[in-house]
Amino acid sequence: MKSKISRRDFLKLSGAGLATAGVLTGCGPTSRYVVRQPYSSMPEFGQTGVSTYYATTCRDCTAGCGIIVRTVEGRAIKAEGNPAHPVSRGKICQRALTAVQGLYNPDRITGPRRQARGGGSVEEIDWDQAVEVVGQALQGNAGSLAFLLGGTPDHLFDLVTELAEALGAPPPVRYSTLQMFEGRSTLIAATEAVYGTPAVPHFDMANSDVVFSFGANLLEEWLSPLAYTRQFRQFRQDAAGRRTGYLVTFEPRQSVTGGSSDLWVPVAPGSEGLVAAAIGRLAAEARGGGVPPAFAGVDVNAAAEASGVPVETLTRLAEMFATARQATALPGGNALGHANGLESAVAILTLNSLSAANPVSIIPVEEEASAPQGSLQAVQELVDRMRSGQVSTLFIHGVNPLFELPSSLGFAEALAQVPQVISFASFPDETALASDYILPDHTGLESFGYQRVQAADRPVLSAMQPVVVPLYNTRATADVLLAATQQAGAGLDYTDEVAFIQSRLRPLLDANDPDGLFRADEMPTFWAQFLQYGGWWTQSPRLEPAEASASGGSAIRPPEPLQSGQLHFIAYPNKLGDGSVANRPWIQETPDPMVTATWNSYLLIHPDTAAGLGVRTNDVVLVRSEHGELETSVYVYPAIRPDTVAMPFGQGHTELGRWAAGRGANPAVLFPPQANGAGDLAFADTRVTLSATGRRRPLALIESLDGVYGEGH
Amino acid sequence: MAQVTEQPRKWGMVIDLDLCTGCNACVTACAMENNIHYTGEDEVAYGRGLYWMRIQRYWHGEYPNVGPEFTPMLCQQCGEAPCEPVCPTYASVHSNEEQINLQVYNRCIGTRYCANNCPYHARVFNFFDYEIPAPMNAYLNPDVTVRSRGVMEKCTFCVHRLVHARIDADTQGDPSLENEVTTACAQACPTNAIMFGDLTDENSPIRTLFERSERGFQIMEELGTFPSITYLKGGGVYGGRD
Amino acid sequence: MTRPKPWYKHGGIITGIVLLLLILIGGAAAALVFTQQSPDQPIQFPHRTHVLIGAQCQYCHPAVAFSAEAGLPSTDKCWGCHQQIERQSEQLDILASYVESGEPIPWVPVALLPDFIHFNHLTHVDSGIACETCHGDVSQMTVAEPQTRWNMGWCLECHSRTGEENFVRLSDCATCHY
Repeated sequence: MKSKISRRDFLKLSGAGLATAGVLTGCGPTSRYVVRQPYSSMPEFGQTGVSTYYATTCRDCTAGCGIIVRTVEGRAIKAEGNPAHPVSRGKICQRALTAVQGLYNPDRITGPRRQARGGGSVEEIDWDQAVEVVGQALQGNAGSLAFLLGGTPDHLFDLVTELAEALGAPPPVRYSTLQMFEGRSTLIAATEAVYGTPAVPHFDMANSDVVFSFGANLLEEWLSPLAYTRQFRQFRQDAAGRRTGYLVTFEPRQSVTGGSSDLWVPVAPGSEGLVAAAIGRLAAEARGGGVPPAFAGVDVNAAAEASGVPVETLTRLAEMFATARQATALPGGNALGHANGLESAVAILTLNSLSAANPVSIIPVEEEASAPQGSLQAVQELVDRMRSGQVSTLFIHGVNPLFELPSSLGFAEALAQVPQVISFASFPDETALASDYILPDHTGLESFGYQRVQAADRPVLSAMQPVVVPLYNTRATADVLLAATQQAGAGLDYTDEVAFIQSRLRPLLDANDPDGLFRADEMPTFWAQFLQYGGWWTQSPRLEPAEASASGGSAIRPPEPLQSGQLHFIAYPNKLGDGSVANRPWIQETPDPMVTATWNSYLLIHPDTAAGLGVRTNDVVLVRSEHGELETSVYVYPAIRPDTVAMPFGQGHTELGRWAAGRGANPAVLFPPQANGAGDLAFADTRVTLSATGRRRPLALIESLDGVYGEGH
Repeated sequence: MAQVTEQPRKWGMVIDLDLCTGCNACVTACAMENNIHYTGEDEVAYGRGLYWMRIQRYWHGEYPNVGPEFTPMLCQQCGEAPCEPVCPTYASVHSNEEQINLQVYNRCIGTRYCANNCPYHARVFNFFDYEIPAPMNAYLNPDVTVRSRGVMEKCTFCVHRLVHARIDADTQGDPSLENEVTTACAQACPTNAIMFGDLTDENSPIRTLFERSERGFQIMEELGTFPSITYLKGGGVYGGRD
Repeated sequence: MTRPKPWYKHGGIITGIVLLLLILIGGAAAALVFTQQSPDQPIQFPHRTHVLIGAQCQYCHPAVAFSAEAGLPSTDKCWGCHQQIERQSEQLDILASYVESGEPIPWVPVALLPDFIHFNHLTHVDSGIACETCHGDVSQMTVAEPQTRWNMGWCLECHSRTGEENFVRLSDCATCHY
């Protein structure tokens, strides 16, 4: 017998020999051939092996939390809270923590491009061409320009507002799903009605002993989750560690806030304002001294019937409210996202005037008061303009309308009528891919800027600065617009983005506020400190107690009764917020607090309702409203009204990269296009019918191994 | 030569369940600090998610008086750890210096005996090599080893921060530097429900809470594991849920 | 009738086994040798010359004094001296080309530990351990050469000499593995 070892076998064996050698020596020969490339010139602010920390501002919601990003040798490692910042005070939420996964996302748009809408040909262009495209658009008929921005009150909004004014174009339209879910326009309108100032009020929860939350999910997604969670801590526990405070939540679905409350009252959707008014009347009677006119016309029994809350409970709660040292009533998204939302908000805010100590105060921020808030009404007008061909060029930044807006609004059809759409998105989201040009902006960790904070206890201008050098061939949208403006000759004489920001800081420098965090004689020093501390704010709180003007308050229409087979449908934002962060794997993998689900959508349904429908957790149901339908897995949730189902917002992307696309369902297809009295979407007025599909799609839950063994609950 | 004179530390944690809102910020903070891989929907559904820390949610009561109880669960850093004696390769060992349980990745051969013996379900196993697509690997923390397939891992009490703080304190001659150290979860916790500190330090704010709070208890203390985490719950003015 | 030869006595099998062993041993030996040789470097950097003219290690590797890493000097640092000095070696032309192009110099690290070990220069330097204790006598080297002794026993042997009260800490797994 002849031994035959082919060349191939020999190579295999040699490989085995080398592998053995690797094991024997503890490190394989290949592992040594790592290449290290030191700096060609070491930056003065960096040193090998030493972390550098940069203060900036999180852009993932509109709260404006100060963060500090740890960087090592030019790489952003981790975001942490900025201990000095009055909003975050060293704390941080999931979204800001995963900011580095947004920055280093492999699906980012790497440079400016011209493309065929809806996929197809993509042509890389350079920035000179991009600026020329924008410049030519700006030179056209100013009346036919349209700017659609996100809801963040930042420098870009100020710049675009100024630009639109200079050009004679319509002011920018803003839309933010998170603000829609918290009913911010409604809250501001109600504050104007009750207190005479259009502003986001500040609620002193920390010093209250009783707090009634009407649909405000303050621990997860409200005006400023971190700031109100910190207040909740002071409310919940005194310095000696005793449990204090009594939190009552009125909401049809138990939210994270409802879970941490002392009493959860499942009111019928749309009846929150009635409940508040009934409590107001009963509390005023309990307190004596007359019923305020706003509550005089309320029928307590009718309110009890419409809301499903017994009169005894209302009376008990009213007495608690009336006898509290300081009682606070918070108007939140679930209560305001109804056709009667504005009236409800007025009733809930007015309830605060019955507290022994006034919990509501206001920091008047003049720029914000004059600026148009994001609302559905404004977007509706824009859609109408687009549909009738009055818009020649649409600029989109910081918002993804094809995903976020209710499909019933018809944005997709209206977009087809716009000859030129220019998106400034950093990620390939649905709207960016349906545009003619994508001129990518830097992500939040690569760019300069500022943000006015609306929900703090003092004036705060939060600073943004790049923590790393931009990864790709992106350019700040402000710089693109300024360059294009100069090309178009429409005089905004700022050399670049930073010059614009500094011009807006000038009043702060000149005011030389003695209580300011820092003062400086000239801009470079001011600017350096502004970036170093992460913004400018006053050292002590600056709140003006809000005085309620005695007004009548209009009657609140009770919600229309459900028809047979119908259920209330409530969408709510959770960790995914408006869905723009769904492309970060760790935010997908972080479990939902109440459901422990990851990576997908689910429909919360009461056990009795589920049994009536014959479905269990993980069964797929078809959810149908007047305006659309979707399919999603069921999660049987014990803490929701039997006549209500709920679903988190943020999944259901068709684009936005590998971790977001094709995952879950988007509840925006179900929403009605109606707005409430303040122009906010009446999303909680959605009514749906359910039908079982007979299919099963297991959810990735932390709480059980249902997905492995296929056992039902 | 730097003098190693101060006594060994005993690191401990106090988690106030009255303050925990279940927000899960600690879970994400832990993942971003410790280079924990995301695993994807299927693996999480199979129970293979690599959570060093998780919030356990239990329902109690019946509708409408129903509500969740949240329990942040992580490695309890037991004094008498059930995971240690079962490891055939001494990969799960007790640190005499830090008074915590260590997982030595290079010794681990993946028998998973330790996970089976952990009453807290605090250990997770790398069933696969998970790859982070470039350039996302740029955010990996250089202070923490990236684990590969076949290795057991668990909460380390952010031991890299403890070691770095000790080195800083030693070399700069300022022991207070070591007292400031905290874990990623405690640093992120928006209500300060998680508190971390040195139990041998007279001035440590958590020492009294850890040892003497009347609200304090330890999970499964009847097993005699002597955990380094004390949970606080109940008591007070309103006495909990209505 | 002869009994058939057992399978392991066939010539082919024996040859195969011997060949396999040779390949394994040869491969292992080759790899052992390879790992102990200095890798190809972009510049044949003469450590010896620099040490002999009196340059301190920390001049080019200052990070040992304040961080875990030693760090490599930036091109600027090399050029800071060498633009003043007459070029006597063609190696300096390579350096000059890197300075001109602005590209980083792709050094191949020699003093490499596996990823699960977190060696900290700061604490060793602060304890008065000389560089050559671990890195060998650099004054005799051109490019840095790998040292044969780098294994855990060697680390622990040195740690054990620091005294019994310190050895508790210095033999703790978490001192290096985390």
